[in-house]
Amino acid sequence: MADGIAIQEGFLCPICHKDMRSPQNLLSHFQDLHSEDQEFLKSLKGIYGKAKKKILKLDDQDLQTFKELTREKYYLDSSDPQDPGPSQCHTNYFRDIRRERLEHRTTETNKLIIRLDRLLRTFGSDRKQQEQELVVWLDGSTVTRCPSCAASFNIARRQHHCRLCGSIMCNNCSYFLPYDIAQTIVAPVNSVNDKEYSGKDSDTLRICNHCLNMLESRRRVQVDQMIKPTIWHLYSLLQNNKKQIEAAVELYNKMYNSLTSGETTFLLQDVQTLRSSIAEKAQMMDTLSKKIASEPVDPETPKAALLQNNIRKSTSNYIKDSLLTLPTPPTMDEIDRIRHKLAMSFKDDDLPETLDRRSIRTVAVATGWSPAPASASSIDNEQENPLIEQMRIVKNYIDQARKAQRFEEVASLEENLRMLRETYRQQQRA
Amino acid sequence: MNLIGAVKAYVDKMTDESEPGMKVLLMDKETTSIISMVYSQSEIQQKEVFLLERIDSPNYANSTGLRYLKCLVFIRPTQHNIELMCNELRYPKYGAYYIYFSNIVAKADIKMLAENDEQEVVKEVQELYMDYLAVNPHLFSIGLPCCMEKLSWNQNALQRSMHGLVSVILSLKKSPIIRYQSNSRLAKDLGSRIEDTMNKESSLFAFGQGGHSLLLLLDRRDDPITPLLTQWTYQAMVHELMGINNNRVNLSNITGVSKELSEVVLSAEQDAFYAKNIFMNYGDIGQNIKQLMDQFQAKAKSHQKIESIADMKSFVESYPQFKKLSGNVTKHVTIVGELSSMVNKYHLLDVSEVEQEISSQNDHSAHLSSVRKLIQDDKIRHTDAAKLVMLYALRYQNQNNETYNLIELLKKRGVTDKLLKDIVYLLEYAGSHARQSNLFNVEDAVKITKRFFKGLSGVDNVYTQHKPLLHDILEELIKGRLKDNLYPVVGNHSSGLRAQDIVVFIIGGATYEESLTVHSLNKTYPGFNIILGGTTIHNSTSFLKEVENVYCGEDMRSRKHTKHLRNVIFE
Repeated sequence: MADGIAIQEGFLCPICHKDMRSPQNLLSHFQDLHSEDQEFLKSLKGIYGKAKKKILKLDDQDLQTFKELTREKYYLDSSDPQDPGPSQCHTNYFRDIRRERLEHRTTETNKLIIRLDRLLRTFGSDRKQQEQELVVWLDGSTVTRCPSCAASFNIARRQHHCRLCGSIMCNNCSYFLPYDIAQTIVAPVNSVNDKEYSGKDSDTLRICNHCLNMLESRRRVQVDQMIKPTIWHLYSLLQNNKKQIEAAVELYNKMYNSLTSGETTFLLQDVQTLRSSIAEKAQMMDTLSKKIASEPVDPETPKAALLQNNIRKSTSNYIKDSLLTLPTPPTMDEIDRIRHKLAMSFKDDDLPETLDRRSIRTVAVATGWSPAPASASSIDNEQENPLIEQMRIVKNYIDQARKAQRFEEVASLEENLRMLRETYRQQQRA
Repeated sequence: MNLIGAVKAYVDKMTDESEPGMKVLLMDKETTSIISMVYSQSEIQQKEVFLLERIDSPNYANSTGLRYLKCLVFIRPTQHNIELMCNELRYPKYGAYYIYFSNIVAKADIKMLAENDEQEVVKEVQELYMDYLAVNPHLFSIGLPCCMEKLSWNQNALQRSMHGLVSVILSLKKSPIIRYQSNSRLAKDLGSRIEDTMNKESSLFAFGQGGHSLLLLLDRRDDPITPLLTQWTYQAMVHELMGINNNRVNLSNITGVSKELSEVVLSAEQDAFYAKNIFMNYGDIGQNIKQLMDQFQAKAKSHQKIESIADMKSFVESYPQFKKLSGNVTKHVTIVGELSSMVNKYHLLDVSEVEQEISSQNDHSAHLSSVRKLIQDDKIRHTDAAKLVMLYALRYQNQNNETYNLIELLKKRGVTDKLLKDIVYLLEYAGSHARQSNLFNVEDAVKITKRFFKGLSGVDNVYTQHKPLLHDILEELIKGRLKDNLYPVVGNHSSGLRAQDIVVFIIGGATYEESLTVHSLNKTYPGFNIILGGTTIHNSTSFLKEVENVYCGEDMRSRKHTKHLRNVIFE
């Protein structure tokens, strides 16, 4: 077998896939480390004994009464995949309404951003003047109460203006946006050239609740778009691997079926290589999912721990159910036997009726003996007439069988050879 | 017409449409049940859904989200859910939302959602019609344990049933003619509500009609016998004796049961043994489970001796299947063991024999003495004794009968007041005044001869003589002989069309015995496709509870049909 396959061989623990080197080690490892499964097996045994007693009792008393019933074999067929029923899509309607609503909001937010950018560039002692030139402040002479908290203005509670939209509020209803944060809002990605903007980092900008919300939600969207945590990258790697593996498994099954049905489309060697590459990728998936499970979890998002564990669990389920159950490729020996049998059965079909059919079936493996694989050179040349090739193979088998003193087989093989020759002669004549 | 397949196809559509990536599935209480009926958690994990959340759980609103996840939302379009969803969109916990409603949703609600989606996280809004619990390929439930209030519809239950049925016929791509049991106000109301919806949403129901389909609405009150009987097929028996709730069976009160087995899932989709034995009778199951155990033991033995590398390899390779098999074996062995111990302990075979005779033969004095004898047997349960009296009282309601005296005997036995009242409730609920079909048509000469021959050939079994009324109704229907005056059509359609695809719905709950009836009719008449549904799936306990609930708040002193049973006293 190819070297790569060693990855899956050895005394692997079925749960953690560790190679334990010897069966004794594996058994003790399994008992020590996977005690939960042990407990499960124990509990299984317990129930088993009890129930068996119960059911045995049931047999004597009651089963008899039901025996006479007609045995109509009612059972449920498993549900085959089918096309989904009708559905109604509201996505476009939803989008239309959302667009209508958001367009207004987007332009408003953009306006605020532009203003903020300009405000951050105001310099000097006449800042207030400049600010008012950029944003027209509302005339406060007719406003007697704060629009957001409804407290009346007086000497103690003075009117203030939002620097961004110019609206009026009291001091309690004002928010102070620090300059450094404001700068990241204006230019979230580019590193900010501090000199371009005025003011120290400690300076703040007085704004109203409304404007704050608008800026805040915009900032949130931007941040979320950019943050892709490690687990996200690990997961895309994992899925990439899975996709490749799925394609490989499909190909492997095809090759396996083709080989075991005696076709010569694929080479055994290639099948083995593919299998070891699947094993390698499975190993990779396993490692990745372990890494995901052990990613540190932010205590503020406890769900992440569950998520990571579930990814790990489903990956190991996938490996167990879909990859460990892949059939091992047949040996060269098995393949040859299959091909030989197949060749015989083809002959059977092509033979002229005059030939004795009985003699054909006798290349029997029933006695447990089979010839060694034909030497590589004999299958090299596909250009050759398949009959000649067959004849050579059979001759080779005859030699082997003779050496092994299986004369029954020799006889039947000779018979086959004779038939092959006959057919060949007929072919040549035609 | 396969309901499980229909729901699965919808779920697959849902998980496929949202591009690849880690996903969370956000559901409400009911949709959680809907999904869990067809997919297990490990199956849904293979579709990249790694977290399941409940939008209506009290902690959900305050929990933190993970913005790098995609959120599949599958909820019922209720007012409450829309509000919760608006809130969710205002403060989104996840990066993108794919919203699927289990039924028709109002335009106004979509508008409201759209107006709250300020961060533009919603990628998809759709209706997928799976607003029902798919129990088996041919059986569904709405999940309403009680649907009546003072002998008429509970309005919420009417609404819910209508939604459920509309989604059933949509998911099966049918636009059926509706017929209903004519003496039932409930069936008539439900029928016209469904017809209204079909007319209003006519574009949805515009299927290229391949053959005609029929929706038949029945009332449980026409057949109060079936849910009372002791059952002997696997699924029905488990439900009757242990209770199946959304495919789950609670085993925690069986002594010596390990923690993994405190609640087990019985799903024919994931459990081949169950699928094979679901309609098998008690005797066959016993045999099959023995085979299963032997099979398992042989496997376990071969796993025990691991000597060579080849052994090791085959162990590793077959381990997943082995573990799956061992889980199944333990589960069924536990369940069957418990069933058999109950059968022995409560003498259910004796009880069942009398039940079956009362329900399908006519011999007053013999039945009376059998019931008397069993009431005096202190090995049988109080509930079984009371159920026998109920069956007797229903059976011989219209002749001189001894119900009064049997109740006296029950009292002497120490049967609770609650059960005695149940006798009265049941007679009021489904006595002969409330039925339109001849439930006990055993005197029918043809049937008697049939029974005679069956008895001779030894085919019939004493414990499974009873055939539900539904069997007769469906056979009439299949033969095109179901009477128009007893089962009229809703709206201006003709009933003359022979429907091949039939959905039968029992208001007040279906039973697993009826499910088997439908299944065997489907096998007998391959040209027909029958699907059964109910407001719920009843066993005798839940059925009596629903009947009690009908009269909750009613003054039973002025009852009409059971005045003579003076010895059951209502305060």
